[in-house]
Amino acid sequence: MTHSHIHMTRFCLALCLTATSLLHAIADEGDNRSSKNAHRTDTAPTEDVVEADTAPTEDVLETDTIHLLNDIVVTGTRTPKLLKDTPVATRLITMADIEKADATNVEDLMQEEMPGVEFSYTMNQKRHLNMNGFGGQSVLFLVDGERLAGETMDDVDFSRLDMSNVERIEIVKGAASALYGSNASGGVINIITKESREPWHVNLHSRFSRHNALRSGGNLSVRGSHVANSLSVNHTNVDGYKLSNGDNPSAQVVTTTFADRTWSVKDKLTWSPSAAVKLTGRAGYYFREITRTADSPERYRDFSAGARGLWRCGDNDNIELAYAFDQYDKSDFYRIPNLDIRDYRNVQHTTRLLYNHTFGEDILTAGADFTYDYLLNTNLDGNSRSQESGDAFVQYDWRISPQWELVGALRYDYFSDNRESSLTPKVNARFKATDDISLRASYGMGFRSPSLKEKYYNFDMAGIWIVLGNPNLRPERSHNFNLSAEYAHGGYSVTISSYYNKIDNKLATGVPHYLQGDQTQLYLDYINLDGYSVCGGELSLQGQWDNGIKARLGYAYCNERFVRNKEGQNINNQYIPARKHSLTARVDWEHRTMSDQMLRLSLNGRFASGVENIEYVDYYDMSQGTKRVSYPAYTLWKLSASYAWPNIGRLTVALDNVLNYKPQYYYFNSPITEGTALLVGFTIDIKGRK
Amino acid sequence: MRNTLMTLSLLLLFASCHGIMDDIYDTPPADVETGEEQLYVDASDWTLWHYIDLNTLSVSTYPIPMGEAEATEPEAEQTGIYTYWYDVFGIGISKRERRSFVATESQPEPDSWHIAIHRNNVRTNGAAVHETALTSMDDLPESSAAYADADFHEDSWNETDVWTVQDKMLQGIIGNQGIKVNTTLSSWLDVQLPPFPPSFTLNNHVFILRFNDGTYAALQLVNYQSNKGVKCCLTINYKYPY
Repeated sequence: MTHSHIHMTRFCLALCLTATSLLHAIADEGDNRSSKNAHRTDTAPTEDVVEADTAPTEDVLETDTIHLLNDIVVTGTRTPKLLKDTPVATRLITMADIEKADATNVEDLMQEEMPGVEFSYTMNQKRHLNMNGFGGQSVLFLVDGERLAGETMDDVDFSRLDMSNVERIEIVKGAASALYGSNASGGVINIITKESREPWHVNLHSRFSRHNALRSGGNLSVRGSHVANSLSVNHTNVDGYKLSNGDNPSAQVVTTTFADRTWSVKDKLTWSPSAAVKLTGRAGYYFREITRTADSPERYRDFSAGARGLWRCGDNDNIELAYAFDQYDKSDFYRIPNLDIRDYRNVQHTTRLLYNHTFGEDILTAGADFTYDYLLNTNLDGNSRSQESGDAFVQYDWRISPQWELVGALRYDYFSDNRESSLTPKVNARFKATDDISLRASYGMGFRSPSLKEKYYNFDMAGIWIVLGNPNLRPERSHNFNLSAEYAHGGYSVTISSYYNKIDNKLATGVPHYLQGDQTQLYLDYINLDGYSVCGGELSLQGQWDNGIKARLGYAYCNERFVRNKEGQNINNQYIPARKHSLTARVDWEHRTMSDQMLRLSLNGRFASGVENIEYVDYYDMSQGTKRVSYPAYTLWKLSASYAWPNIGRLTVALDNVLNYKPQYYYFNSPITEGTALLVGFTIDIKGRK
Repeated sequence: MRNTLMTLSLLLLFASCHGIMDDIYDTPPADVETGEEQLYVDASDWTLWHYIDLNTLSVSTYPIPMGEAEATEPEAEQTGIYTYWYDVFGIGISKRERRSFVATESQPEPDSWHIAIHRNNVRTNGAAVHETALTSMDDLPESSAAYADADFHEDSWNETDVWTVQDKMLQGIIGNQGIKVNTTLSSWLDVQLPPFPPSFTLNNHVFILRFNDGTYAALQLVNYQSNKGVKCCLTINYKYPY
């Protein structure tokens, strides 16, 4: 780490400290001013807008309003916007959606709620995301606007992203690098955590299923006139078990799932000493243990912390200063000698300054980030590497008329390793044809800077080949075009959208090869592939009726063209491509009793069409070329019933995979299910009234 | 309140550039320390046999001969490399088919030895082995005479377990040395594939070896990993003569 970065980071933190001290002094003077928070302003640049009047509540009996677009979202423009008005098409998953889905982590939730999303296994049984043709490396996951350190086979560790204390999730599909930089070429998924709203709130929850699958945890939140705190503790466990496959699979299959347990603790403290200032501090710890071999389980740990100050410095101005620290470690625990040996660490320090200024109904947003990225990996050439990156961006949100709104943004990123830079623009337009109909169009450029791993990896893969980094990799770049139309009236809404992505210099591993003069050792290099494209569209229908029935149907089409190397050769796809057709559906019936208790019956499911991949006929003889491997379609449905008592809790019983689907082969993209499974869960949810 | 914020801010301020909480991890000792009546053998190489003389406690290493001749049909128990396809991504290595055979020289060995180790495989120099239910050497009867009527197993021909050539492992193609091994003693370390990479299971039972010269030994595998996690680095408790 350079001295300049140390100085910059510490300077920013010193500013935070100074501000903290000053503000605390103000608070000590017996400030009886309004406790309303500064972040209720229309242009507050953070995720804190949830306190606006349209924010969802935490009441377990609260029947969710169907997403008729009156919720507020922030991710698309970094400023709060009504979902129905934002020029950037955004998919919102609310707290009510999360509760109904009964999801453990972001993987469960996204697969249940979003067509076009699939999580599959990699060779060493880590999870890999494909969202509309983009892999997990090109979809940026944020928690309260902050990036996550670490990767497991290129994707973030999705188990970290539990759903127990999540307020909402905003998904912006398509290139968003003009606001979020590298890795946002396929979209941004911003997970926004809850804030305390009641004087106190206790939530305890647990769910059980087969193979000792357990999910349990608790949240305790308190709120005073100026201070609020939210503490969350969660635990999951599942035993390992064997899966039974048929004879002669046409591709690699999963035969064993490994025992897996996680623990996480998170705390978020907010202090609003005045209407103009809000300070937030957070800290978190995550632990995961996967038992692939009984005597040496793999361990994963994450330490995170951050501080954010938000200052409304006038009627038209907001400034946010934030610092985030995230450290993701991997180690192997050798039980016999009782040694816990670390072999991986990724540390990211990020400091951000964000400024918003309103001109009437227009908003100017400008910001800059500085990130220090450190990677230690025993399979890295040189054992450890680091780089600094900085960026600056500006966005103008132009409300031309009540019908038209235009947002343009430009961002410059610089990476110290290899001195790479990138200039990425985007433009979004929204036209409100009537009160009920909105049309949106956008163009965005995306990019993904090669990671330190992709540049400097040197990994002997069990003697099969050596995976080699490539310091000369160029950034992957994409051009994304989106068109969408939205109609919402009464209890119904229809959204239809289409997209086209052209990707150049895609980063991937290439063709295994021998070095000249040595036919004994195969090498697999990271390379830039030839250009390719992904196009598709989505249709979403929602409706609710007075008899308590709500329904939602989502359909996605995705045509991901097979990648080739620069020489025009078909190459083995590192990951299985997106399925062409996928569908998610949900129907809920809710009934309230006279005493405000509520019965809910839900049926939800998903369908995924078959998909083909190009794979080598013989990994050790490239002259035999490639072949097409077919992976089958599947459908899964879940039937659940829950009964909720006001300010006490809820009991849930569900039959997962109610059609008893059992894959003949557990391919890497097959659902890991052994048939119908019973899930039983309860939640105790008690809160103090204001 | 002030203290909490100050503490949090200071924590962030001094968070190391390269991370925090280093102390929760261990630094592996360079060498495995062995106790009294304990042996350590790095048998991780796919192409080597390690011969142990329990009289001198010496370990000598000999390579597995590789064949360069044309593939042929083997005669009964003919020494050589037997290449098998294993269903490593299907039901497991119990499902397999022989694909080819290449004759090789006989396995070289020293003049004096008691056992030989190759990864999870063990051969004996004409001994027979009995697996006890004991999990501690301290629980052994005072004399090996207690095992006079026990069920002992000699080495037997094997062409599927001594994995020697791994360069096509991803396709389930593995070359094995055809040679006699002691499957009873080799059961002290079980390797299964799948999952991929393989899973290892240690069997910590005490094994009794009866040699041709009438002497006995007791052996127990207590660890199969080096301090850096390399598999098939064996730490063995021994008692010889027993």
